[in-house]
Amino acid sequence: MAIAKAERLMNLALCLLGTRRPLSKRELRDSIEAYVEAVRPGSGAAGSDDSFNRMFERDKDDLRELGLVIETVENLDGETGYLARRDSNRLPPITLDAEEAAALGLAAKVWQQARLAGAASGALQKLRAAGLPEDVDPYGAHGALEPRIPVHEAAFEPLMLALRDRRPVVFDYRKANAAQPGQRHVEPWALECWRGHWYLAGWDRDRGAERVFRLSRITGKVRSRSGRFTVPVPDVVTVRETVASWAGESADRSARIRLRSDAGYPLRAKATAVRELGEGWDELEIPYGHGLDAWLVEFGPDVVVLEPAELRADVVDRLRAVAKG
Amino acid sequence: MAGKPVRPSNAIDQTRRMLSLVTYLRERPGARIEDVARAFGITEDELVSDLDVLPMCGTSFRGGDLLDIDTDGERIWWHNPAALGAEAAEPLRLAADEATALLVAARAVATLPGLRESDRQALLRATAKVETAAGEAAGASSRLSVTFESEGGVFADVDRAIAERRRLWIRYYSPARDEVTEREIDPIRLVSVGHTYVEAWCRRSEARRTFRLDRVAEIRILDEPSAPPEVELRDLSEGLVQPAAEDPEVVVEVAPGGRWVAEYYPHDSAEELPDGGLRIILRTPDPASLRRLALRLGRDGRIVEPHELADSARQAAREALAAYDGVEAAG
Repeated sequence: MAIAKAERLMNLALCLLGTRRPLSKRELRDSIEAYVEAVRPGSGAAGSDDSFNRMFERDKDDLRELGLVIETVENLDGETGYLARRDSNRLPPITLDAEEAAALGLAAKVWQQARLAGAASGALQKLRAAGLPEDVDPYGAHGALEPRIPVHEAAFEPLMLALRDRRPVVFDYRKANAAQPGQRHVEPWALECWRGHWYLAGWDRDRGAERVFRLSRITGKVRSRSGRFTVPVPDVVTVRETVASWAGESADRSARIRLRSDAGYPLRAKATAVRELGEGWDELEIPYGHGLDAWLVEFGPDVVVLEPAELRADVVDRLRAVAKG
Repeated sequence: MAGKPVRPSNAIDQTRRMLSLVTYLRERPGARIEDVARAFGITEDELVSDLDVLPMCGTSFRGGDLLDIDTDGERIWWHNPAALGAEAAEPLRLAADEATALLVAARAVATLPGLRESDRQALLRATAKVETAAGEAAGASSRLSVTFESEGGVFADVDRAIAERRRLWIRYYSPARDEVTEREIDPIRLVSVGHTYVEAWCRRSEARRTFRLDRVAEIRILDEPSAPPEVELRDLSEGLVQPAAEDPEVVVEVAPGGRWVAEYYPHDSAEELPDGGLRIILRTPDPASLRRLALRLGRDGRIVEPHELADSARQAAREALAAYDGVEAAG
């Protein structure tokens, strides 16, 4: 049976951390059982050196993902050696009290995305090994605050890695009202979660401008492109303001409506003025931005738009479409 | 507490954990399995599977210096801690992903209104220390951010009621019925999944209910003690709305302009239509609550089933149009 990958990685990590001089690939191959097995004649692979080399490269990449700094040094014979120096791999001293530890414990539990949940636990485990005080759960089973960061979008992980490594990406994107997706070439800058949805801000190469994308509208795979960013990443990237304007929250005008007295609480909550008309009706003044027509139609016969005429026409138009059914 | 997010155990996570584990165990001879599993946030089974792998590891296989770690099922013993030099056993620096995951989450939690001030201060102090310790690895964390939505004042009252175990009176808006109702609730916990919710025992319906804080129109903390029956807390990682198999089916067909429905409503299936639209099948205990959706869609979509729902939307639209005729005639 093949030796488990975790065992192989662990041995490679311990060898690299434990050595004072660079170890050659051959030394590592000969001292780690999983590699010995991989190159053993009759192990199945014809080009077993090739398969070892591929395995070794992948393993080093995996350890680097875990934060290990592995140096490559050439020795006098021109042979490449590897080592993980303790100076570059040691966690700087950090002292956290019990309250701080509990707060971090709460934070480490919020990710609902496998990679980040694993990374957050890993961070906490490293801090634990460094002496982080152990939990006395101050929140208790009841009265607990349970924040969760949802990540349902498949595009999240490849985008996160691309923006971390500053790699351009390409993906198919379906705009809210478009029938067909279009291909977009983007330099990813920032990811933001707002109201439970994830958005990407970045440089849209096709449009030559900054754009915000909603991850749930990315169809198919996100693929990395070779090459570098062509535009400097701004210090501040605003995602929320852009999304708020899509949602019609940047109202610049106001509208007058009639509303049945017992209905439309959220409209009342937004109203700038309310006047009782009697006979079960009120008159409200509300902010008028993009999307208000669709919202008002939801209230059916409980809302009548008075002005502006443009909004009135839009609402009547929508109602006619539903009435025809 | 709700179960922790389910994730497949993989070689990377296990390696990361074992590297921290050797550092931890080296200083704690005879550590109890139970305690170590808790400290590492893993199950005892996961820990035992790590303990099965560790004796196969060492700084040099050929040198015969494998880690001699074993367990009697209760405690963990390491018979040759010298096999791992003190240097190789030092705590490791944080990787970029680790720093990002922890810092982004900590910053998000720190912005939650209603988080006890002492907890917020502790979190901010911890965040600053982790940033410093992470060094360069902390850089990428500024590229990710999360904002929890919650209504400050309401949140603070709910949080206090939970802490003091007191009942709450609320006026609550239900969009499905477009009505505000008064109810007394015994709060159980606060949950933030995009929006913030309070899970509570509703004394009006004598059932467990989830209330979205931004829909609470008014709130008061009552003097009565809160006494929710012992209920098993659900794992909410799959979302708050979990339709039951016996709920009636609703079929909605939307044009491209109505594709957002699939993003906002949990559904069983969404089938592509030739015109770029979708045929969406979802389930809800109360199909009448979707009349709003039918009205909102306008020409971007229609309810196919049930017929009663489609009819009631048409009827509502006709009534609404009649009001315009009336106003027009009067004007």
